Amino acid sequence: MLRYVLRRLILTIPVLLGVSFLSFMVIAAAPGDFLDQYRINPSISPQTIERLEKQYGLDKPWYVQYLVWLKEVIRGNFGYSFQYHRPVFEIIWRRLGATLLLSVSTMIFIWSIAPTMGIYAALHQYSFADEAFSVIAFIGISIPNFFFALLFLYFAAKTGWFPIGGIISLNFDQLPWWGKLLDYLWHVVGPVLTLGTAGLAGIMRQMRGQLLDQLRQDYVMFAYAKGMPERNVIYKHALRNAINPIITIFGYNISGLLGGAVLTETVFGWPGMGRLVIEALQSQDLFLVMASLLLSSVMLILGNLLADILLAWADPRVRLRFS
Amino acid sequence: MSKENEVKVKSEDLFEVEYMSRWQLTWRVLKRHRLGMVALWILIVLYLGAIFADFLSPYNPYRQSLTTRFAAPTKIRWFYGGKFVGPYVYPLIKEKDPVSFRTILREGSNLSKIEGVDREGRPFSVEIGKDGVESIVLMVRYRETARSSQGEVTYRKKTEELDIVPLSMVDELLGEGQYVRTYTSSSYVKALTSKYAWKVKKIGSPKAVDVVYELDSVIVSLKNGEVKEIPIASVTDYSLKRYHVKFFVKSWEYKFLWLIPSRIHLFGVDEPAKLYLFGSDSYGRDMFSRILFGSRISLSIGIFAILITFTIGLMLGGFSGYYGGWIDEIMMRITEILMSIPGFYLLIALRAIMPMDVPSHITYFLMVIILSFLGWPGMSRVIRGMVLSLKEREFVQAALAMGFPARRIIWRHIIPNVFTYVIVAATLSIPSYILGEAGLSFLGVGITEPSASWGLMLAQAQNITYLTNYPWLLIPGAFIFLTVLAFNLFGDALRDAMDPRSLGA
Repeated sequence: MLRYVLRRLILTIPVLLGVSFLSFMVIAAAPGDFLDQYRINPSISPQTIERLEKQYGLDKPWYVQYLVWLKEVIRGNFGYSFQYHRPVFEIIWRRLGATLLLSVSTMIFIWSIAPTMGIYAALHQYSFADEAFSVIAFIGISIPNFFFALLFLYFAAKTGWFPIGGIISLNFDQLPWWGKLLDYLWHVVGPVLTLGTAGLAGIMRQMRGQLLDQLRQDYVMFAYAKGMPERNVIYKHALRNAINPIITIFGYNISGLLGGAVLTETVFGWPGMGRLVIEALQSQDLFLVMASLLLSSVMLILGNLLADILLAWADPRVRLRFS
Repeated sequence: MSKENEVKVKSEDLFEVEYMSRWQLTWRVLKRHRLGMVALWILIVLYLGAIFADFLSPYNPYRQSLTTRFAAPTKIRWFYGGKFVGPYVYPLIKEKDPVSFRTILREGSNLSKIEGVDREGRPFSVEIGKDGVESIVLMVRYRETARSSQGEVTYRKKTEELDIVPLSMVDELLGEGQYVRTYTSSSYVKALTSKYAWKVKKIGSPKAVDVVYELDSVIVSLKNGEVKEIPIASVTDYSLKRYHVKFFVKSWEYKFLWLIPSRIHLFGVDEPAKLYLFGSDSYGRDMFSRILFGSRISLSIGIFAILITFTIGLMLGGFSGYYGGWIDEIMMRITEILMSIPGFYLLIALRAIMPMDVPSHITYFLMVIILSFLGWPGMSRVIRGMVLSLKEREFVQAALAMGFPARRIIWRHIIPNVFTYVIVAATLSIPSYILGEAGLSFLGVGITEPSASWGLMLAQAQNITYLTNYPWLLIPGAFIFLTVLAFNLFGDALRDAMDPRSLGA
């Protein structure tokens, strides 16, 4: 098991190198750079711009810039943000925290109810609840994140039951710890529902389909035939076999959350990575973009790795294949 | 029950007696999928709407009308005085709210007929079109009176022309001769009286304001230029001008099917009335027309992008799956790298490379390229996997053993087997392209104004004040939702229908 994890971790290194190289190339290919806004400003002298160019290494060809950047990153230095004049890491840290908080909240939301709903739907096939779940699932899969977010905001503004954006209230600092928690939960409902619906629907449908498939298998018939109690047949045999594909989805779920979060964060004014990346890209804040792309890729890869490890843990066949 | 069986037996007979092609069989299964068929019809309607967008649009989607910004969806009326008269609308009048300074659009209309008694006791009757009457304008006496416990004072008085009568006051004004509106909320009282404080102060601080309209006279202009004034004592009958919805009307010019110049539109109403089926946006542009025009972009971008994605995916995936070796190795590493960057970030990063301030048709082209670039890695990998497993199957091995050239094996044996999957996957992945375009445009880095796309139109709703006051700005989002839902449902049905196991049943 440990060997498997190590092997996977080593394999991610070339991928990350590739990601960083590709992102650097993409940003270098973009017309102009961050200093353009200074160049068109007549009050900044050409000497200053030259000095800044030297300072940020923008006067060198892009592949040299890349190698310099890479060397620094290996040393743990992600560079300075042009825009904020602060170390990139410091800026990203907070934003990453907000995004992770949102992702984790969403994951908890999805995984605490979706499998249960799926199992219920499978065990009560064609019942009213099953049909209702599948209608909800189709709507959930099809509704665009930003549209759902706007609908939620409209609802929040009309009823006043939920805040219309942001992550905490103004008086957050004065609240006791449980008040802080409640305040956060109050703010996170909208983004979590928005991000969660699609994942919820997908997992529910998968869970239902897989369990139904397993229930039709011969070994389930056999278990029933030999007089095993129904509860054991379902939860000890069928469900254990049905859960494997769901674990694989777990990894994709994380990546989906990261990508989809950009729009949700924008609509809800959530101070996460998504908006940071967009703003940084638009102002061509090179190192900030690089660090955030790299970090989000790391998160994505780690998510997939986590899913694979979970799968290996749950399924002896996978374990055998790799060790 | 028995009838159902009969039908089934019959169709099975048919299957055995008559040879049906693969597509006929697929269609037969598809037809039975009720939701899938509904979805197919929705898609057909949406795409027809996109093709005939200019014929169906009552207004030019780029034309701004600043007098009717944020007009609510126009109310279409069918009855007048309890009688069915066909669809008609009333024009809008602009009013300013004295407190919030927000423009309020109210329905109102011109008088088309008025009968009554004048102040000398003589009955009169005027009707537009009769006796050379061209227009009827109402003169009203307007006054604002402030009240408090110390008495009341009329601080503002004027005579006003009311050529369009608001619907909300027409009954009282013409029926009873006077329309009174009382404001008691302190903010309104303050806003109304603040300019006349020196007149109002003798009664202390006012508690309420009455705004009164009183009927004074009618001014009738005749065709020959003559103008008559009739002082009114009472009105016995009147009717308002109705602006009927007309079909096949002539209005702004366009090219039918991009070819034939035409001015004919399916429907419209005469000015100054406006027919905004879905309301109007922040520039007073008709949302309905813009949604139709936006559908041209939003619905086509997915199709073009998917065509490119699948061509690339089939070629690269097929190639690396069939030949394997180091090409395969490199290809797979590249796709792995591309798939490790969160999709939407990559989308925005790629958009950032491309020039921003270019004409919208070039933006459209760039977005097709970006979207298809984003999709090919996943597609290639899946096709590669399928080709890999197909390669080991007996029929391909047999073809190899028979010495067929690689090209023939790929085209005649492998591609047809992958193709079913490809069509289903294409249908199911079109939504992600539509959402990609909508998302980019929503963030302001995609299609730009004044062009219309659903995502871009929805971006207006990001402003929370707009969103709460003018909820019809959300309608484009409903269209995105509907399209994506229809594609998902139809793709689902298609997957069932394309499944070989379902064909005989």
